[in-house]
Amino acid sequence: MNSTPRFAEDISLRIQELAGNLKIRDVMTRKVFAVTRTCTMRDVQAIMKSNAISGVPVVDDRHVIGLVSVNTIMNAYEQGWMQDPVAKHMTTGVRTLGEEQPLSFAMSAFSKFPYRRFPVVNQNNELTGMVTPRNINLALIQELSRQLDAIETESGRITPAATSENCIFSRIYRVARYDFETGGTAAAELREQLQARGVAPKIIRRAAVACYELEINIIAHSYGGTLTLYIDRELVRITANDFGPGIPDVDQAMTEGFSTASDWIRSQGFGAGMGLPNTKRLSDEFAIQSGVDMGTMVKSVINLNPQEKLSDENK
Amino acid sequence: MKKLKPLIEELNAKAVNAPPGWEDRDVKKIFASDLISDILIIDSDNILLLTSLLSDQVLYAADVIGASAVILVNRNHIPAMLGKAAAKKGIPLFHTPLPKFESCVRLGHLMELV
Repeated sequence: MNSTPRFAEDISLRIQELAGNLKIRDVMTRKVFAVTRTCTMRDVQAIMKSNAISGVPVVDDRHVIGLVSVNTIMNAYEQGWMQDPVAKHMTTGVRTLGEEQPLSFAMSAFSKFPYRRFPVVNQNNELTGMVTPRNINLALIQELSRQLDAIETESGRITPAATSENCIFSRIYRVARYDFETGGTAAAELREQLQARGVAPKIIRRAAVACYELEINIIAHSYGGTLTLYIDRELVRITANDFGPGIPDVDQAMTEGFSTASDWIRSQGFGAGMGLPNTKRLSDEFAIQSGVDMGTMVKSVINLNPQEKLSDENK
Repeated sequence: MKKLKPLIEELNAKAVNAPPGWEDRDVKKIFASDLISDILIIDSDNILLLTSLLSDQVLYAADVIGASAVILVNRNHIPAMLGKAAAKKGIPLFHTPLPKFESCVRLGHLMELV
């Protein structure tokens, strides 16, 4: 597609902006499983297996002297080196990142070098953490959510109860373009969560449908994105973020019956132009922001408190 | 309110997924549509959903609205993946060779709507 380079540039700019305030220490994994040079390859393999990790740094007095990856272990297994000390087979000359460095340094490092993880060190060059692309992705999503919350708090739209201390369930789902096969996964989990907490069926239906509509919107109309569920004792908040193409005219998109869906999407049973209007109708609070070539963010809040349940009966 | 079993029998519908206790599920309304968007607008519990859509998204939509059951109309054969999706969701799923209009008329009489 001709728009791809422009799209990639815009995404890159947006990510750099998001990462601007973050340092590597803000995103790194602090619980690090490190070994000393005398441990065997078998010891490292056991650590990897029991902790579901794919790389273990080797340290000498907290200073990183090497790294053992899954590939190193596989090679050792094939060659019969599993009882050898790690110092014999570890990768040496390991690149490390400083914990005080900006997150953008880590992002550049992953672009520049073919590594899937970097040990992180402090000013004394001592190991303090590990960083992977997953750490970065999660941090960016959280930062995006935090910035959105800050914008809404400033505009007085967010409910005070929606703070992390009150959270009883929170999850981020990756939603892929045209992946109708798994569409509805978040909605199904939201439904289960609310049922388990004894929420009234009518409220559950409203929340599940709103969630499903937003999930399908990402699948059918965007290049992909994320859907975040947040539940506390008073409300459900569903936040959909996608990576574009964005909506040129949000008012038009909010009009019942307006749709840009292709024939193929319509053949799947969607594209009646009811998704966003229906989500707004079901929501106690609703917000949408969109930028062409940038993406769309939609937030839907459904109150769970008894008063809302009563008023809901009259809807 | 009707029980599901006599409605299924009225259409000579065959089970694709029949979880335990399906016969006694309550049906308050019948809704027929081939548009997921329309299904999602339903504001009622205990819906019996009639559709000719052969997409597993029908089952996701039925799940989120809390439908009592789904009947695939005008269908003699159902893809196996639909049965699996219905089993995963615990949704009773049936199919009938009757066309949608005739199915609606028959069920309408049974529900005393016509």
